[in-house]
This record gives sequence, structure tokens and C-alpha cells, in this order.
Amino acid sequence: MNFSTIVIIGLMVLLLLIIISIYNGLIRRRNEVDNAFGGMDVQLKKRYDLIPNLVETVKQYVQHEKELLAQITEMRVKAITGNLSNDEKVSLDNKISAGMKSIMVAVENYPNLKANESFLNLQRLLNEVESQISAARRTYNAVITDYNNGIQTFPQNIIASYMKMTDKEVFVIPDGERQNVNVKGLF
Amino acid sequence: MIPLEEIKDLYTNQLKHKLLGLERTRKNVLTLYIFAIVLIFVPVAVYFLFKNSPDVHFSRFFPILILGALSGVVFIFMAIKKHRVYRAIFKKEVVSRIVHAIDPEWSYQADACLSQIEYSSSDLFRTAFDRYNGDDLISGVIESTDFRCSELHTEYKTTTTDSKGKSRTEWHTIFKGLFFHADFNKEFFGKTYVVPDQMEKLFGKFGQNIQRYTGNADLVKLENPEFEKYFVVHATDQIEARYILTPTMMEAMVKLRKEYNRSIHISFSGSRVYCAFSFGEDLFEPRVFKSGVNFKDIETIYNLFMINATIIKELNLNTRIWTKK
Repeated sequence: MNFSTIVIIGLMVLLLLIIISIYNGLIRRRNEVDNAFGGMDVQLKKRYDLIPNLVETVKQYVQHEKELLAQITEMRVKAITGNLSNDEKVSLDNKISAGMKSIMVAVENYPNLKANESFLNLQRLLNEVESQISAARRTYNAVITDYNNGIQTFPQNIIASYMKMTDKEVFVIPDGERQNVNVKGLF
Repeated sequence: MIPLEEIKDLYTNQLKHKLLGLERTRKNVLTLYIFAIVLIFVPVAVYFLFKNSPDVHFSRFFPILILGALSGVVFIFMAIKKHRVYRAIFKKEVVSRIVHAIDPEWSYQADACLSQIEYSSSDLFRTAFDRYNGDDLISGVIESTDFRCSELHTEYKTTTTDSKGKSRTEWHTIFKGLFFHADFNKEFFGKTYVVPDQMEKLFGKFGQNIQRYTGNADLVKLENPEFEKYFVVHATDQIEARYILTPTMMEAMVKLRKEYNRSIHISFSGSRVYCAFSFGEDLFEPRVFKSGVNFKDIETIYNLFMINATIIKELNLNTRIWTKK
């Protein structure tokens, strides 16, 4: 075997190693995206679990917000039973967020409810879940950005196109959720 | 919590008088140090200047030189002893009064410091230390948040042997400055570290790639560019790191960094937040070489103690709307 053959074989091995590492890197990023979405799903489910309790507690005190409560219950049912795509899930979830906030604002008119111990606990749990959801969404966005950067830059983009990996959309976080520390102002 | 104006009143009405009283002790300490240095330095200088001179009969002077140098050593000990007394009075009469003026409920111990367990629990500095020093321990509660803070200095040593077989020990600082920890208002289970960003400053984007493999845990990339310029975040849980580091929290940390303009290490571990502010100089110490009677020094001490309140306020630690009460 002469010198040039060795060099060619060496270069091919090197190329193969580079391709393998890029391939693995892309797979890792794709898995991270799935994992981050899963993380968000867990938090969303926690919120769905809280909704019936909230509705039950609030129902005993309020007179005028029955319709709002019915809407939220309906959205919850849709969210947990329906076969929704990721985008639909997110949009439905934004609606649920808005509905929950309306309830919290409406509660201002019912001092008895505001003083109710189990309602206060629910409020704390909801704040917790809302913060966790916000954190999970930001994680998802960070992972998506990493993923998109990965599949758009050279030379990964060549391998990514063979693997049929396409860009994914980041979530637009509703304004109200950007400052989750100041949720206190809402109550 | 009192504003600076009230500290100024305290200074004018009480502290100034105390400090004027302390001036005599300060001058005594200074004189002792000067005597000691002269008494040691002069005999040593004479010895080296004339030791090879044929005109001087050294043997005649030698006992005098030795006596001079020895008395210099005695003066050094006296100066150190007096300095300790001066320092103790200063801490008791001045520093302690400032602390209690800020909040009478806070406790202050001039010679105590945070325990080694507290320091290690932060997990901020993983280099094993060989020397652990500190003083000025202060603890208290601000609204619903309890905190503890002290000055700390941790060092490790290296021993090198040169070509002649002579070994030399050198001490290297791991951390020197103010170390603070307080109860955090949210519950978390992993660990999150926010430390000064040196890699990215030095190597730009490539530095970020290095950060993936360094640090105490996985790299967390956050969306606030100004925050990312000052800090790098590593955490054991990506979602939890963002649960703690909300956009508001990141802004608060940037504000703290700018306000104090020094390197800040922060960690979240075991339900507490740890902050380490690096300082080159010793803090809360009385002046020896300059008059101690000036409001500027008192203001500095006040501002240092107010770091505790500032962190708690800026990081919103008193907001207790989550499951942790």
C-alpha cells in the first residue's frame, strides 16, 4: 500500500467520523425537542388537574361567572380528550390561560371567596403551575432555537436535509406570561 | 431598614464622638508600627551597608544592632496587640451600632463567620480549600425571608520545589469577599449555578462551546442577551433553571451586577439562594494609616450591610405567592 492510498483511506475514515458525529448531534437535538415538549406537557396536565377543583370552589361563591366557568371546563375536556396537534394544543392552552386569569380577576368581587383557605391554596398551586409552564415553554423555545440553528448551518444542513429534518416554530409567549413574578398584581 | 440620611444623623450625633475617642488608640497603633519598622529596618540596613567595610569594627556594634532589631520585634507584637484592641472597640462601638441602626433585630458577631458547611452547600467553589477565614457574621429576617451573611476568604496552597531543592509554599485565593445566603421563595429540587461569564468574553461564540463541557452541570442558554453577557448558567434541570431564572430575575441580577460592579457568583441549592460578591480588600475594618473620623467609611459599611436587603428586594424573595410559603 503506497502513501497516497493510506492518506485517502485516512481522509475517508475522518469524513465518516465527522458525518457520524453530525448525525448523532442532530438526533440529540431532535430528541431534546421532544423531551422539552414532554416537559411542557407534564406542566399543562398539572394545570388541567387543578381546573375541576378551582371550578368547584369558585362555583359556590360566584353568581355571575357561571358561563366563564362552563367555558373553562369545556376547554379542559377538549384538551385532555381531543386528539390535538401540538399547535392546536398550544392555542387551546393560551385560551385556558386567559380564562383562568379572567376568573382570578372576577374573584376580586367576592371577598368571602378570597378569604377561603382552600381557594388560597388553589391560587398558590396555580401560580406555581403557571410559572412552571412558562419555564417549560422557554426551555422548549431554547431547544427549538438550538435545533433550528443546527439544521440550518453548514455542514449540518446537508445531512439534515437527507434526514428530512425541517425547521420548527418557536412559541410566541403571550404578553401576560412574560412577567410571571408579578402575577400578584392580578389578584 | 433605615435610609442613609438617618445613618448620617447617627454619625453626627454618636459615631463621630466615638471615632474621635478612638483616634488616640489609632495613633498609638500607628506609632507602634512605625517604631517597630524603624527598629528592625535600621539595624538590618546598617548590617548590610557596612558588613564588608574594612574601617568599621563590626563586632563592637553587633550587640547594639541585635538589641535594636529584637526590640523592633517586641514593638511589632505590641502593635499587633494594640491593633486587635482597636479593631475590637471599632467593631463593637461602630460597626455593631450601624447594624442595629439598620435593623435592631439583626444579629451581628464581629469574630464569627459562615460555617464551612454553609460555604460548601453553595457548591459554588469546588476547589478544596486549605485555609478558611472570615468574620463579621450577620443574620436576620427581612419580612418573610431569613438570611445569613459574612466576610469569607478561602485559599488553597501549592508547594513547589526549585532546582536547589528548596521548597516554597504559595497561597492562592479561591474566594474573598462577602458571602450571603437566604431562603428562596420557590421550591426546587436540583441545582442551578449563575457565575461570571469569562469564556464567552474571551473567546466569543466558541467560548460558549467550551462552556458546554465545563461548569458544575449542563449549560443553560437564556434569552436575555445582557444577562448572557455577564453570566453563564449551568443547571441540573433545564426547566427548573428557567423556573428560578424568570425574565424579571435575570434583570434583577444584571442590575445587581451593574450596581456593585464586581464579580458575583450565585447558586440555588437546597431551597436557598447563595450569593458570593468578590472583594479584593478586607471589609468592615478600621483605618490605621488615615484618620478614621469620616462619614465616607461609615457610608461604605452601611452600603455593604445593605447588600443583604438589596438582594432580597431585587430578587423579590419576599414575594410568596407560590406553593412555598
